[in-house]
Amino acid sequence: MNETAFAQLSTLLSGLILFFGIALLWRRSLHAYIDAFQWQSAVLAALLVIVGYFEQDVELYLVAVIFFVLKVIVIPRYLNRLETRVGGEREMRPYVNAATSLVVSGALVLLAYVITRPLVMASTLPTRGGLPLAIGLVFVGLFVVITRKKALTQVVGFLVIENGIALMAVLGTFGIPFIVELGVSLDLLMGFLVMQVFIYHIHGTFESIDVEQLNQLKH
Amino acid sequence: MLFLLLLLPPLVAALLAFVVQPYRSGVGRINALLSLIALAAALALVGPTLAGSDTPTFGPGDLLRADSLSALLLVCVTGVATLTLVLSPGVGRPATYSPGQLRRYQIFINLFIAAMLLAVVANNVGVMWIAIEATTIFSAFIIPLTLTKASVEASWKYILISSVGIALAFAGTVLGYFDFVSLVGESANALNWPVLLAVAHKLNPDVMRLAFAFILVGYGTKAGIAPLHTWKPDAYGEAPAPLSALMSSALFAVAMYAILRWKAVVDGTVGTSYTDGLLLALGLISLGVAAFSLVLSKNYKRLLAYSSLEHTGLICLGLGLGPLGTFAALLHLINHTLAKSLVFFIAGDTEEAYGSSQIEQVHGLLTARPWTGGLWAVGLLALIGLPPFGLFVSEFLIMQAGFALHQPVLMGVTLALLAIAFVSIIRHLNRMLYGEPRLAQPNRAVAAEQWIKFAPLWVNVALLVLLGLTLPGPVQTLLTRSVEIVTK
Repeated sequence: MNETAFAQLSTLLSGLILFFGIALLWRRSLHAYIDAFQWQSAVLAALLVIVGYFEQDVELYLVAVIFFVLKVIVIPRYLNRLETRVGGEREMRPYVNAATSLVVSGALVLLAYVITRPLVMASTLPTRGGLPLAIGLVFVGLFVVITRKKALTQVVGFLVIENGIALMAVLGTFGIPFIVELGVSLDLLMGFLVMQVFIYHIHGTFESIDVEQLNQLKH
Repeated sequence: MLFLLLLLPPLVAALLAFVVQPYRSGVGRINALLSLIALAAALALVGPTLAGSDTPTFGPGDLLRADSLSALLLVCVTGVATLTLVLSPGVGRPATYSPGQLRRYQIFINLFIAAMLLAVVANNVGVMWIAIEATTIFSAFIIPLTLTKASVEASWKYILISSVGIALAFAGTVLGYFDFVSLVGESANALNWPVLLAVAHKLNPDVMRLAFAFILVGYGTKAGIAPLHTWKPDAYGEAPAPLSALMSSALFAVAMYAILRWKAVVDGTVGTSYTDGLLLALGLISLGVAAFSLVLSKNYKRLLAYSSLEHTGLICLGLGLGPLGTFAALLHLINHTLAKSLVFFIAGDTEEAYGSSQIEQVHGLLTARPWTGGLWAVGLLALIGLPPFGLFVSEFLIMQAGFALHQPVLMGVTLALLAIAFVSIIRHLNRMLYGEPRLAQPNRAVAAEQWIKFAPLWVNVALLVLLGLTLPGPVQTLLTRSVEIVTK
């Protein structure tokens, strides 16, 4: 496939990935959060395959498979199981309402474009157009973590940040060295499992996963 | 070979604790002995630095490497690790935890130690990141050793804030790699420190500035630099005291190590003024937040966390003040490791004795528990920077570096904040040491038991006094070489 088509396709897919991240800001039910994350990860895995095809890099196919298995199958399954056990609550009235959140996310993506100008100019890769979208996704993920009131949605926000960084790695460098990629995936899985365990603990001790209740520790 | 002797003991210890079910105190004793092996290996790795010979490496593609900065950190981490394992609950004295909890504690604390050691000797930036992320995961398992509302809250905040921070540090790492690849093309050892340092002057300045911003925010969250420190008081307050000791001295040092390594690379690209400016600003903010929080402290373990924040601020200030400041900051790191670990162990014992970690519940330490009270006094006086303890020397050197670089206003503000911290801590110390104790009067047997229990901590005190009175040759060589690596 020729280079401009590849560049446009990668930017389009990055935009779609960012869209799923922003979708988190107006969904209310926990199940919708997990769904959006699943779709986002699937598109990201597809992008990994496309980049692997263009670069003739077999390693990227392997990374795409690991990514798909981890983030589209394993983690959402754990999340859904978690949601049935401790969920049944909706993310009612997060700290910032939906309309303001969307405006803020627009501003964050704009900020990302400004910040990543030197990156885009320094790069010669055809996929560099999507780099601002990747950093934008990281910022949106951060915003989700800060403004959510339910522990489960905070975890999904964290996973979205990780997706943003993975996207940045793919677009900017066509992936990072494989051994590092492997270790990062392992760390991510373990980190997620730990968070999952903690949400069970929170539910067990507080009878809810509302993080507003986690306010005992002060001066 | 030495690297194996360094990394295998904690892994074997964790495996042993995993296999032996239910927990027996022999496991704790064996693990303590294993940690001595790691300590010996770390000290042996300092040897090549002092002799001026080649840097020891290990593994395919130089996977592990121990230059003087790494060796310095290794000694700090293994030193505190040994102390922790010797003074852990369930090692030869009746414990307040169940066998299941003790087993979990032994498994994860050894894995935690192994991860920290790996982070310090990893030659590859990515492997270092993986190890530091692993430390978050392993330590998060032990904070809520007893499941209470407070400990669950503390550990949730810890793991969420730390994971987000580490993710941002990874973003910075990827940006650094991106810059390298754009310049040089893909390479298998692109993420190795010596390689990055060698090409630093050719990298794109704007990209490296952005990368360092992410790195500082990311690893700064782990180190507990304000305003990303909010997890610290909660986590240190709720975690079992040995873990708090390990986290506040060793883990903090490892996080600062990561920032320092990246600073060396970024300085090679954009010059020192950018990173210095950021570190000075954050250091001052940390010191300020710490000083005022210390005034309001009601819980002595949280007070120690704010004291950590104060020293974090001082070390950041030092790192931003050129080679002399960096030397002072590294010396301060060593001194802080010694003092902070000492005080946390005492705090743990006090909590057991008085049943509470609130300052107002603790009175009359000098009458009820003279040895504990004495060590509290020594530890806190050391932490506020009084001679003859080492922290006075390193703080003095930081001031000297500041004045040498014509920053009198900055140093003046620093001194004022240090004075506020000084007065606050003395006030709290007075309230705890004197007054009517709420315990039964001590008898000789109790006092004798305590003397033996705290015997290892007197090593800390001795080293603090040694570093406060002189700077031994080997330490000076180690520090000088480390500074050279970072400020070339």
